[in-house]
Amino acid sequence: MSNEPMPELQPVKSGSFFNNPRNRAAIYQILLLLGLMFFFYTIVSNALANMEARGIKSGFGFLTTTAGFDILMSLVEYDATHTYAKTFLVGLLNTILVSFVGIILATIVGFIVGVSYFSQNWLLKRISIVYVETFRNIPLLLQVFFWYFAVLSALPIVRDSINFGDAVFLNVRGLYYPEVVDEPGSAVVYGSLFLAFVAIFFLRRWAHKRQDETGEQFPVFLTSLGILIGLPLVTLLIMGNPFHLDYPEKGGFNISGGTNVIPELMALALALTVYTGAFIAEAVRAGIQAVPHGQTEAARSIGLREKRIMQLIIVPQAMRVIVPLLNSEYQSLVKNSTLATAIGYPDLFTVFVGTSLNQTGQAIEIVFMTMAVYFAINMMISFCMNRFNESVALVERK
Amino acid sequence: MREFKPLPAQPAPIDEVGVIGWLKNNLFSTPLNSLVSILIIAFLASVLPALIDWLFISANWVGTSEAACKAEGAGDGACWVFVSAWMQQFIYGSYPDGELWRINTSLIALGAVIAAPYLLPNELRNSVGVPLFLVFPFIGAAFLDGRLFGLEYVSTDYWGGFSLNIFLAAASIIIAFPLSFLWALGRRSEMPFIKSVCIVLIEFFRGVPVLALFFMGSVMLPLFFPEGTNVDKLLRVWIVLILFMSGYMAEVFRGGFQAIPQGQYEAADSLGLSYWQKTLLIIFPQVIKISMPNILATFIMLFKNTTFLLIIGIFEILSTTQTALTNSNWLGGHAAEGYIFVALVFWCCCFGMSMISSNIEKKLDTSHRN
Repeated sequence: MSNEPMPELQPVKSGSFFNNPRNRAAIYQILLLLGLMFFFYTIVSNALANMEARGIKSGFGFLTTTAGFDILMSLVEYDATHTYAKTFLVGLLNTILVSFVGIILATIVGFIVGVSYFSQNWLLKRISIVYVETFRNIPLLLQVFFWYFAVLSALPIVRDSINFGDAVFLNVRGLYYPEVVDEPGSAVVYGSLFLAFVAIFFLRRWAHKRQDETGEQFPVFLTSLGILIGLPLVTLLIMGNPFHLDYPEKGGFNISGGTNVIPELMALALALTVYTGAFIAEAVRAGIQAVPHGQTEAARSIGLREKRIMQLIIVPQAMRVIVPLLNSEYQSLVKNSTLATAIGYPDLFTVFVGTSLNQTGQAIEIVFMTMAVYFAINMMISFCMNRFNESVALVERK
Repeated sequence: MREFKPLPAQPAPIDEVGVIGWLKNNLFSTPLNSLVSILIIAFLASVLPALIDWLFISANWVGTSEAACKAEGAGDGACWVFVSAWMQQFIYGSYPDGELWRINTSLIALGAVIAAPYLLPNELRNSVGVPLFLVFPFIGAAFLDGRLFGLEYVSTDYWGGFSLNIFLAAASIIIAFPLSFLWALGRRSEMPFIKSVCIVLIEFFRGVPVLALFFMGSVMLPLFFPEGTNVDKLLRVWIVLILFMSGYMAEVFRGGFQAIPQGQYEAADSLGLSYWQKTLLIIFPQVIKISMPNILATFIMLFKNTTFLLIIGIFEILSTTQTALTNSNWLGGHAAEGYIFVALVFWCCCFGMSMISSNIEKKLDTSHRN
């Protein structure tokens, strides 16, 4: 060991200016910048010239003008006298509705089918394989068409509706079911439901803490279930059942009362569920398979019961693989919901890029607004799933 | 001296071997399992016979028009005559009868180009196989168009059917290959501006619904070209497909890059290879090998998504089916037959590709799980 100072490293004198990687990087980037500037200058000036030639207005002024067309289904009040901004909102809500329904149902289907793959039942396992391989390999648009044109349009007409106990009707116009109508006092029941969730949250925390300290387990699941059902039920009885059901009634040509799901929504939600469900099932299968078998054996050897092994050992580890895959499946479900436009379900894409664009001709504004919305929805999904992923991720040594 | 005589071995219990044993272990091992099995068998028994009857036994197979399915004595099952009568349209679109050989030739050529790297001798693989691959889409398009080769001109309005799905998907992925590789390299680059441009490109094309991109191609793109130029619709769609595919493939390649050990870069550097030598000779072959299953999966997605072109009025196979279903000579409601045929065609292609992909994956998998 010597304490002599290291000789200073002299930078190697390069032959030319261009041999210095820093200069080269700067030159490449300047070239790219110039190229991009030229590209954008060209398309912007072309677009302006073209729009002037075709008499297309620009800007977002159209949003406050009257749209003048009706929309098949709307979650908020809407008619032809409302503005384009309102059509945007109606479409957005319809998109969120179908995506939400699709995500929930696809997750349920996907997890059931994915877990069935590991069933000891030979038939169940085959069926899960056949399901995944069939629906994953058929284009989604074809499935949407199949449900809409081949299945739902083969349903009977209103007069011959399929009748489930005079409460639920299924016919070619859609699915009709009773609507729950609030009466005064219903807010108390909703309030108690919320209270039940809060109580369960604290109960879980308390039970976890107690187990950490004393090792005693508390039947959290059963107690939670009891609170969740019992508390609203008690308030429901105390308040004297502040709800009534509005049953649909079948006339000769129409059904009045109740609420209904239009066949477009059913077809799209079904297709999205079945298609994405197959992909989620595959993700679940991959996740469970990624847990080494030794984990199960080790868990058995310390005497855990089979149910607890799944719950405490396999699932938490499988989730690390499943959650990132779920994230991308959810995002592609939202993007695929734009296929609504093929069967006329009034989602954002249909009412905005379809009808509104046709009427106003303002392609650039409308397409960019729509893209921005889908981008934002996907960012939100990604954000939530990443939060969720952090909670299941492996905690490594820092 | 007494001899030890073992008793003869007992036969295995009757419910542990043979068909009964198999049934007991696989279908009826627990009460819950038995219930599930019975439910499934009941469901299959109620659905399958009717389905098989409709699909095959009472189906109509021969004839040329709808009358064959409506005639006295015709079965009341599926009308496959619908599919066979429209077969040429389903495969070739409205391409002129006399020129169909051009589509067939192009399809064979496509197969040959894909097979070339396996058939060519080693020394020709890179110098001939790769350029052949990259110029194929242009030559193929020109050949189908016909003007450049002095053949009869066939406007892209007449292209269609399943061959169009294949050509569009293949032509897009071939061009997307080098483009997405560049984007992926850019995303890894240390030059901040190039890196951010690539990130924006990739995230844009991945984050936006492909349908919105198609609308962009058909409604917005014409606005960006100089006034008066009329770019062919199919060409615009091709551009959109290439960009869309590049976004996804760039992410696939990024995954591949991340799997390459740092030592490979360092070893290449220590040999004094330049950036492009290092990237193309050392890194690229390994990235391709690792990413192959994902590339195929992405391609399957693109291939299925070519049906979305129906919405902007390109006559690919699903769009042809919709047209056939509304044809005045075939108004008998043959939606199920048409969709089943298209589904079968896609299923065979996609399932075949996913088989290849999982084979590759298995070959590369060296882990010792399970």
